[in-house]
Order: sequence, then structure tokens, then C-alpha cells
Amino acid sequence: MKRTPVVGVLALQGDFAEHAALLRSLDAAPREVRTAAQLAGADALIIPGGESTTMATLMDIFDLRGPITDFARSGRPLWGTCAGMILLADRLVEPAPEPLRLMDILVHRNAFGRQVDSFETDIDFAGIDGGPLHAVFIRAPWVAEVGPQVEVLAALDNGAVVAVRQANLLATAFHPELTPDPRAHAYFLEMARVAAA
Amino acid sequence: MPVVNFAAGGIATPADAALMMQLGVDGVFVGSGIFKSGDPSGRARAVVKAVTHYNDPAAIADASKGLGEAMVGISARSIDSQELLATRGW
Repeated sequence: MKRTPVVGVLALQGDFAEHAALLRSLDAAPREVRTAAQLAGADALIIPGGESTTMATLMDIFDLRGPITDFARSGRPLWGTCAGMILLADRLVEPAPEPLRLMDILVHRNAFGRQVDSFETDIDFAGIDGGPLHAVFIRAPWVAEVGPQVEVLAALDNGAVVAVRQANLLATAFHPELTPDPRAHAYFLEMARVAAA
Repeated sequence: MPVVNFAAGGIATPADAALMMQLGVDGVFVGSGIFKSGDPSGRARAVVKAVTHYNDPAAIADASKGLGEAMVGISARSIDSQELLATRGW
């Protein structure tokens, strides 16, 4: 029998509340995750947008780095948006923060420029039907290199890779939680349903 | 339009910060509450812990231990009248 997957949202910093609200609009069961115990009961985890160095520092203070790594290695779905993408990366162009090194990607922080260079655009997202997705890029990163196991799901006209998937791991450079369009969350929820079945 | 709401002013303890979070703010600014305390670095870390775990009383209590002196407020009645910006109401 199908049950509703419990989708954890890492709630240390950033826009976790917006992720939770979109999940609720899909009748999913979001859970704010601040401790290893809260993570243990989740079927999937979202690392939200925010400030990646702050989030990495808080992950260390609250001893979440190991539990999140184990969570990903257990095959449960993990989705990083913006700062979350930076944290999922194996390596960064910049010297900090220390990422989780889960996805075989090289990520460039603030790749589009400073705050004034933030922008919105429509993108085609492989695996999401119904037309382009409106995407919000805020001091966003991009993926500069992908390993052989990584599938590119979306790229901009200039070639910048902004959405990738590697098995149970999903990363987007933009903020689907900041638009009312629930299709990206529905995509991840389907990953969670398959994994929880 | 989403509006981010921060609380600031007079927050001196981790419990103060957690109370603001429980009242629904998105975050807190703490300045003198940290700088005028006995252990600014330790108190700043404790406030961060209390904000993150604002709904966990045990975590707030734990973060509140061993921080030394907290900022003490200054009563308006104790300030010389020449130092007051306004005298009405006192």
C-alpha cells in the first residue's frame, strides 16, 4: 500500500518554510529537520536555499554532516536547491565551505555574479512536462563540471548547467520553492515515493 | 509579497531569542546583548543554538549554561536628567 512519504527539510537556515509550504500544497508530509533523530524518520530530505557557509557551519555545530551523508548513502532521495546544491557537491571552485561531497559535480558559487545580477527566467527541465519552468536565480551557483554518473536536467541558453541528478541525488541552482508552480516538488516527491515503496 | 520579520532590541539571553522565534519571527538581531555580556563569543554561539532549536526546551536550557554575566539593562530612573533624550513620563 502506498503511504505518503515524510519529506524532511533541513531547517538550520534559509528558506525551509517555503519548501515546507509547497510540500503541504502537494499533500506531502514535510518535517523540519534540525537533529539527527528528526532526520532518521524521514524518507527524503531537502537542503534549502540560503547561505551555504552558514549552513555548513551549523551542520558541523549540530553534528549533522555524518547523518546526512549516511542518509544519502542509504539511497533515500536528497535534493539541494541553490545553497543546497553547493553543499551536495563533491568539489567547489571556491575554497569554502566544506561540501558534503555526495554528487560528482564541480560547483561554482555566485557564478552569475553578485546580488544585483540575480534574475528570473524560464527553463526546460528534463522529466518535467507541461512547458517551461519559471526559475528564480538568487546569487546562484552553476555546475561547472559533471561526472559520468550525473545526468544534466536543465541548462540555460549560455550553456550554464542549473539542474542535475545522480541516482537518488537531485540539485537545482534555482529556487523552485519561491514560485507557486509545484512541478519541481512533485518531481522530487515522486523520487521519494519510489524510494519509500 | 513575503515579508521577512526580525526581532531586535533587548535580547540578552538564549531564552529571549527562543521566545522571539516562538512568537513567529524569522530571526533575531542581537548586538549589545552579546557585546555587553561576560563572554560574547560563547553567548553568540548559545543564541544561535537557541534560535535553531527554539522549540526544544532542553536544548535551550543546555545552551544557557555557563555563559557568565548577561547584559544588564539600565533603568531610565537611574540616568541623570541631563543625559536623558526625553524626560516625559519619568
